[in-house]
Amino acid sequence: MSTRQSLEQQPQSFSPQSLSGKGTPLRDRIFMWALFLALAVGVFTLAVLLIYVTVKGWPRLDLRLITNMPSVRDPENAGAQSALTGSIWVITFTALIALPMGIMAALYLEEFARPSSKFQRFIEVNIQNLAAVPSIVYGILGLAVFARALALGQSVITASMTLALLVLPVIIISTREALRAVPRSIRDGSLALGATEWQTAYRQTLPAAVPGIATGTILALSRAIGEAAPLLLLGAVSFITFNPDGVLSNYTTMPIQIFNWTKESREEFQILAAATIVLLLVILLAMNFIAIWIRNRTQKRW
Amino acid sequence: MSTPDEVTLKLSSSMLRHGSELPLHARETVFSLDDVSVFYGDYEAIRNVTLPIGKNEITAFIGPSGCGKSTLLRSFNRMNDLIPGARVQGTVAYHGTDIYGPDVDPIEVRRRVGMVFQKPNVFPKSIYENVAYGPKVNGIKGNYDDLVEECLTRAALWNEVKDDLKKSAYALSGGQQQRLVIARCIAVRPDVILMDEPCASLDPIATAKIEDLMGELAKDYTIVIVTHNMQQAARVSDRTAFFTAELDDNGIRHGRLVEFGPTRELFSSPSDKRTEDYISGRFG
Repeated sequence: MSTRQSLEQQPQSFSPQSLSGKGTPLRDRIFMWALFLALAVGVFTLAVLLIYVTVKGWPRLDLRLITNMPSVRDPENAGAQSALTGSIWVITFTALIALPMGIMAALYLEEFARPSSKFQRFIEVNIQNLAAVPSIVYGILGLAVFARALALGQSVITASMTLALLVLPVIIISTREALRAVPRSIRDGSLALGATEWQTAYRQTLPAAVPGIATGTILALSRAIGEAAPLLLLGAVSFITFNPDGVLSNYTTMPIQIFNWTKESREEFQILAAATIVLLLVILLAMNFIAIWIRNRTQKRW
Repeated sequence: MSTPDEVTLKLSSSMLRHGSELPLHARETVFSLDDVSVFYGDYEAIRNVTLPIGKNEITAFIGPSGCGKSTLLRSFNRMNDLIPGARVQGTVAYHGTDIYGPDVDPIEVRRRVGMVFQKPNVFPKSIYENVAYGPKVNGIKGNYDDLVEECLTRAALWNEVKDDLKKSAYALSGGQQQRLVIARCIAVRPDVILMDEPCASLDPIATAKIEDLMGELAKDYTIVIVTHNMQQAARVSDRTAFFTAELDDNGIRHGRLVEFGPTRELFSSPSDKRTEDYISGRFG
């Protein structure tokens, strides 16, 4: 009864003055500014970097960059065509290897494996760990297994397989998350109609998870396309003036080309490197944009 | 507060389904539960239920939350198999065959015993594909146009969607979605339809449509419905089973079947005090 009494008393204490307050407390405002500052530092650094490379590479940001081959003697007219096509070759085969494997592994873990078993937990922890392994370690693995043991040498397929291993954990993790976001009720509805677990996974869960899988995969591949460390170890440093013509062809990629040019002392090469960095960033941003576009377009209304 | 007698009188005079109320022994039994208990790991969610389900009847399961009625319903088509650690004791006989027997394929059980869920769980596909999905996964080949029309008509949805079959099922209202789920369910030509609170997320008008539909469907199918709405049970069902949750000697809650009988009898002259308290709103 005491609450009722106090509620009855309240109307008397209401007056126009009581609606005015002290506004947002100082502590809240300081906190808000701290949050903003943290964001500003990140955005500012990125902006400086972007402006710096764009300004520096501006003289060479023209079609010659993608129509001409690298050249030691003629940096004025050299381009990065072999690096661009090399990157496309490598990333295409990375996707062809990592995508089916990653999706199948995630489907197994999410839809078929017994969730409580020790084996399952062991696998899960290790996939998380693999995603955190430095890329140079994958380079060592690729060098030992693909380049030497399988004698594939300094070829596109060696690079693709190594990068596929690198992005596989990320693809598995993001695919599992996409599958997990599909509501249980969709699976129940399918199973209650007499569909098998495989039919349910293949015809309902997987199609419903496609937007999430696509987003995660594109982001993983955009990480792979910027990788230089493992490829350096695989021996992609060689100076290449031709486009790859097959999976066993020699190759170079954009990060490698940038790395090579920045080692040169002549200013023309530095400008060329900056221009190639801008090209690489444009490709990365485009890939991320596609990922965001897919996500927004296919947002699910469960 | 009206007395229990007044309430039940109101229910029995105006709301009861006037179906044939043959004594159960005169009807064929579709399901026969004998001493059934369902466990989740060590926890016994519902204990020792013995109950027959008559052919072409609507049987309602009522009772407070947590009394295990949905759990019991899910044991009719082995949906509990999908929950890790769930296990059924006792015999769930379907036309005389124990569906938990060693040779029984749960897929086959679910083809014959369809299910409609609490939340309309349409697939993220077109209306047409939703209905055609069941036959498709069950290996029925050919053109589904006639089947889709037939099922949507039987689910009282055809006239509303016949021009929009290619549209996403998500474009439908909640009540339409639930009728689509029913159409999808009858497309695999089941024998029994289980309904787990099918109107829980629907407004009264959509609920009334589903209830009318259930009366129609009972001519061809056997229906078991779990509902929280006692008036609904009284309106649509031929027989009602009342469940409650009881504490055992160790203070652990278990679902128990309290009373089972023709709906009219159960609502007008419940034989158990707990049933009377519940249906008169004096529960808890």
